[in-house]
Amino acid sequence: MKLTDLWRSSSSRLLLVYGGLFALWCAALVGVIQWNTTRYLSNVVDIKLDNITGYFRTIDRSRLPEAMAVTQSLDLRDVISYGLFDGAGRLLEGNLARIPPDLPLDEKVHLLRDGVQRVQGHHPRRARAIAVHLTSGELLVLARDTSVVDAVGAIIQRAALWGLPLIVLPGLVGALLLSRQPLRRVRHIETAVQPIMRGDLRQRLPVSPRRDELDLLAGIVNTMLAEIERLMGEVKGVCDNIAHDLRTPLTRLRAQLHALQHETPPADARHALIERTIADADALLDRFRALLRISELEDMHRRAGFDQVDLIATLKHVGEIYAPLAEDRQISFSLETPAAVPGVRGDPHLVFEALSNLVDNAIKFTPPQGKVRVRTTLEAQGPRIDVIDNGPGIRACDRGAVVQRFYRGATAQAEAGQGLGLAIVAAIVRLHSFRLEIGECAGGGAKVSLLCWAAVD
Amino acid sequence: MPRVLTIEDDTVTAREIVAELTRRGLSVDWADNGRAGFERARDGAYDAITLDRMLPELDGLALVTRLRESGVQTPVLMISALSDVDERVRGLRAGGDDYLTKPFSPDEMAARVEVLLRRHGQAARETTLRVADLELDLIGRVARRGGVELELLPTEFRLLEFLVRQSGQVLTRTMIFEAVWGYHFDPGTNVIEVHIGRLRRKIDPPGSAALIRTVRGSGYLLEAD
Repeated sequence: MKLTDLWRSSSSRLLLVYGGLFALWCAALVGVIQWNTTRYLSNVVDIKLDNITGYFRTIDRSRLPEAMAVTQSLDLRDVISYGLFDGAGRLLEGNLARIPPDLPLDEKVHLLRDGVQRVQGHHPRRARAIAVHLTSGELLVLARDTSVVDAVGAIIQRAALWGLPLIVLPGLVGALLLSRQPLRRVRHIETAVQPIMRGDLRQRLPVSPRRDELDLLAGIVNTMLAEIERLMGEVKGVCDNIAHDLRTPLTRLRAQLHALQHETPPADARHALIERTIADADALLDRFRALLRISELEDMHRRAGFDQVDLIATLKHVGEIYAPLAEDRQISFSLETPAAVPGVRGDPHLVFEALSNLVDNAIKFTPPQGKVRVRTTLEAQGPRIDVIDNGPGIRACDRGAVVQRFYRGATAQAEAGQGLGLAIVAAIVRLHSFRLEIGECAGGGAKVSLLCWAAVD
Repeated sequence: MPRVLTIEDDTVTAREIVAELTRRGLSVDWADNGRAGFERARDGAYDAITLDRMLPELDGLALVTRLRESGVQTPVLMISALSDVDERVRGLRAGGDDYLTKPFSPDEMAARVEVLLRRHGQAARETTLRVADLELDLIGRVARRGGVELELLPTEFRLLEFLVRQSGQVLTRTMIFEAVWGYHFDPGTNVIEVHIGRLRRKIDPPGSAALIRTVRGSGYLLEAD
């Protein structure tokens, strides 16, 4: 089973879509947690800053530097920065280098994205800060680093980064594993369909006792096949009945004409007329005989009675019988066979009949001075026999239909025939599980190939 | 006058067979079921029998088997609606001498009965066959016309041998195809016609009488004028 097939399966796709949605949902969840945590922690910081500024405001201006020093000494983690600035913005007390330029002086806590610069600090530190005007006219700026909030955010982000692959990877593996079983069953169904596509309508798709959606589908197809088989049977039955019922009166008609002809002297003008009528009756009888032959072939299931068929000998025999016919019509006939061809299982008489029909057709549709080639090649699956002519060919749109009973392609209209030859060949081909390919050769003539490939059961 | 027994349960078919064979100067008796047919075939001295494959009371296959067991060697033409090759083989193995599938043309049926009648009367082994100035050496596989050796291919010799053996007898193309090539289906008019045509050109030197005649609508006939 190929990996691409596994990915293409519907359960894989479903699982991938579901996995993607799940990952998105997880990301959203982590985002909400991070946002709430940050908000909560920022709130805590803001309250603390509010408390400290409140405290600083209550104490006397002269004791402020001392109070600030005490606060600093209590700040063991060194997260609080502060500064007392005069009206001109000069630092009077504290460790802040200057009033942060982006801090609104509105006595509210703000997040400073550019951070605050300490006197001895190398880099600005991200912080939340508040500026309050003292009654003395000075400005007190207090800032608290957001490092804790940032660290918590980073932890949550890292957790999300690790978590996502942990969600997606098992999902992918699961998708592969889950899609294998249904795909295997689809392959079984594919194998079961092969003989049906070759025309064996008695075959059915496998149904497992699980009754899952594949079984439901197989069940529907099987019901459909049963109906098609019934309808085909009816059509064939009607066809056979007509052939069967009409041939007895036709045989009788012919016998009576025959008797009439015997009673009419040859010199009588009616003699010739009767003879023509007999010829017409014969043509009709031939058609019925061919039709019944096809239905007889279709009803044959005697694979057990098959024998080894020597294709080279059969082809030589066909050549021996048909080469003079080709020669008579000034058509060059050639038989190209490899030195040895493995025997194929089949009914020697029927294989001969099929090949005769193909060669007979080729000769019939090839104009004088034309060529008919019967070429046998060996392919991996078995021998292939191409009957190639340089007649008008079979139009692409007719190729599927020429094997049907009575169908005669546009190019065949001018020739005498019943339109049953290829239908007989097709019936023999089906009986043997061979294949029939109708195509075109390089010069434009017809190329009909009999592929004697072993039956795929 | 040669006597033929027709064992056939279908009245219409039986009437056709009887009419056609009578027209050809044969005396025909009819039995409409297997048991009566068997008794008449065993007791009466017939020269040929046409036997339907599916009969009431005693089946055609069983009938011919019992006939052969009781030592009756009358040639039997089996007539059947079953054209399957296996069915034909079964019919011939049981002791039938020829096999004809329904529907048949009366000519074809009569031609086959006549061949059986002739075969019945023929000497068992011949080494030379002769018709007019045509001579076939069956051992050397050589044909001569007026003493001149003819250049024939093996198939052509077989075809000529079949025509000569049945000389004076109309042979249908299916009969020829069966006897010479061994296949049991109708190869169409042209193939046999072409082979007969080639044979004619070889065996009829300029100025000599044509030996093979075409019987329109029926088949071919080789006979001396």
